[in-house]
Amino acid sequence: MLRSILGPDDDVPDLLQEVFIRAMDRIGNVREADRLGAWLTTIAVFVGRAHIRLRSRRKWLRLFSPERTAPRQLHQPPSDVRRALRDVYAVLDDMPVVPRMAFVLRYIHGATLVEVAEACDASLATIKRRLSRAERHFLNAVRQRPELAGWLEEGTRWAENKS
Amino acid sequence: MGGKQELSRIGARVRELLADDPQAPSDTRQARAAFLEQVARRNVTARAPIPLGGRPRRWMALLVGAAAVGSVVGLWPWKRPVTFQIGEAHSGFLGDVVEAPAGRTVPVAFSDGSRLSIHDGARMRVLSLDSGARGLSVRVLLEDGVLDASIAHRPGVKANWRFDAGPYQVTVTGTKFQMQFRNTLPSLRVSTEEGRVVVTGGCLHAPAAISAGQTLETSCPSIETTPRDDPPAAASPAGPAAELGSKRRTARPERWRELLAAGRLQDGLREAERANFDRVCERATPHELFALADAGRFFGLHGRAVGALTALRRRFPGTPEAGTAAFTLGRIAFENEDAYARAAQWFDTYLHEQPAGALMGDAFGRLIEAQVRSGDRIGARATAQQYLRRFPGGPYASEARGVLSK
Repeated sequence: MLRSILGPDDDVPDLLQEVFIRAMDRIGNVREADRLGAWLTTIAVFVGRAHIRLRSRRKWLRLFSPERTAPRQLHQPPSDVRRALRDVYAVLDDMPVVPRMAFVLRYIHGATLVEVAEACDASLATIKRRLSRAERHFLNAVRQRPELAGWLEEGTRWAENKS
Repeated sequence: MGGKQELSRIGARVRELLADDPQAPSDTRQARAAFLEQVARRNVTARAPIPLGGRPRRWMALLVGAAAVGSVVGLWPWKRPVTFQIGEAHSGFLGDVVEAPAGRTVPVAFSDGSRLSIHDGARMRVLSLDSGARGLSVRVLLEDGVLDASIAHRPGVKANWRFDAGPYQVTVTGTKFQMQFRNTLPSLRVSTEEGRVVVTGGCLHAPAAISAGQTLETSCPSIETTPRDDPPAAASPAGPAAELGSKRRTARPERWRELLAAGRLQDGLREAERANFDRVCERATPHELFALADAGRFFGLHGRAVGALTALRRRFPGTPEAGTAAFTLGRIAFENEDAYARAAQWFDTYLHEQPAGALMGDAFGRLIEAQVRSGDRIGARATAQQYLRRFPGGPYASEARGVLSK
């Protein structure tokens, strides 16, 4: 969930720990066991959103975070795919955080509209409006990045061939 | 390209890539390990003082995590406490200092409906919360300043709140009151708006009950306290009487160790300063020196961070820890001091001392950036060439190629 929200980010382990800590402190608020997943998603959304806002204020540090260790350098996926992934999240970073959250949950995490509304603590109508805005933003941004658009087109053709 | 169907396919593709990222399992393992360590620290802190140099005990785990995060978290054996929240949305932790910035008010809201507010530089901690069949028991420490309290009174629930302020204790059941404590004197002022509180301790010869509309003011200059900004012990004046006074005010010698081990970095750093920071750095283990350095970095005291890391390098030369300290000194110089030439020296030092270290790749990348920013283009090109020879597909490869292309 956090990786869907943030993309490859070296702060993910710390943020994941923060989600666990918040969950541990508030577990008494959970009344129904089958709501646990949705409740944890809400916490992850909250933590991810706060981090995005903080990160946008420290944008210049993003490329030089400390956890890129030697094993990662040796075993990372092909560079063009990695670059495409980075470009996708660069597009998302330019999107306002509120519609971004709805977009990521819906399209990258694969949640239903109801699940997105619950995780974002908003009405279904509000989520649909946010998604509409985010979809336009994303598609316009991708069109301005021919390399990314090409990769995504190839990706969809790959998905079609696979299916 | 367009349409929701296309976006769904794109999203699925991104999802696959994220899942295939080899860093993902490592992130989860790292987060889980850090979380379990936090649980263990809380368990030990709540039960007993942490043994010096010992490892905290681990308690059994209970499954809480579900599909959304996919991991296992811990059971802890003591009664589940009433929770509290600081400000708008920050979970409160037992023992952590809550401080109100100058001119501002910070609310602390408890899940039983009770509410505290501290004002304008005041500092407090929630020391303990215990809720169960016998009712609710809460203990709060007001270190300094003004605190307003509105304590919920629920029928059928016995609630016992105790507020410590220096040598004083204020005991309440359900009431609204304000207390003001100045630890430099020390003096206490308690005003009750509703209900009743009882004040004991200090130089009071008997418990003082303060009912609605009443105010108590008391001060006991002869009573021993621990001022917040005590100077280091080495700066105290000489002489038996002064020595006795300063001995009374000096922090327990190993308290900083306990606090650091419990993850309370800011408090540990404060205690280390009370116990003479330089002396602490001569006695601390490498792990403790890193903790002090982290505290300095996180809370804006970069001089302390540099001091701890420099001591580590001097006392433990040639070790992997000394190398990591060099790397961290480079980060401080780069990120906090804009001293790019010095940062480049530290990153280069790390690469020489730990040529196969875990931070090698990152040190290379940061060295390139530091050299560029300090105007050392020749050095940056040489480093970029070295980096690309070793890591042609590494995360800094594009930056290195950028340097070489100019």
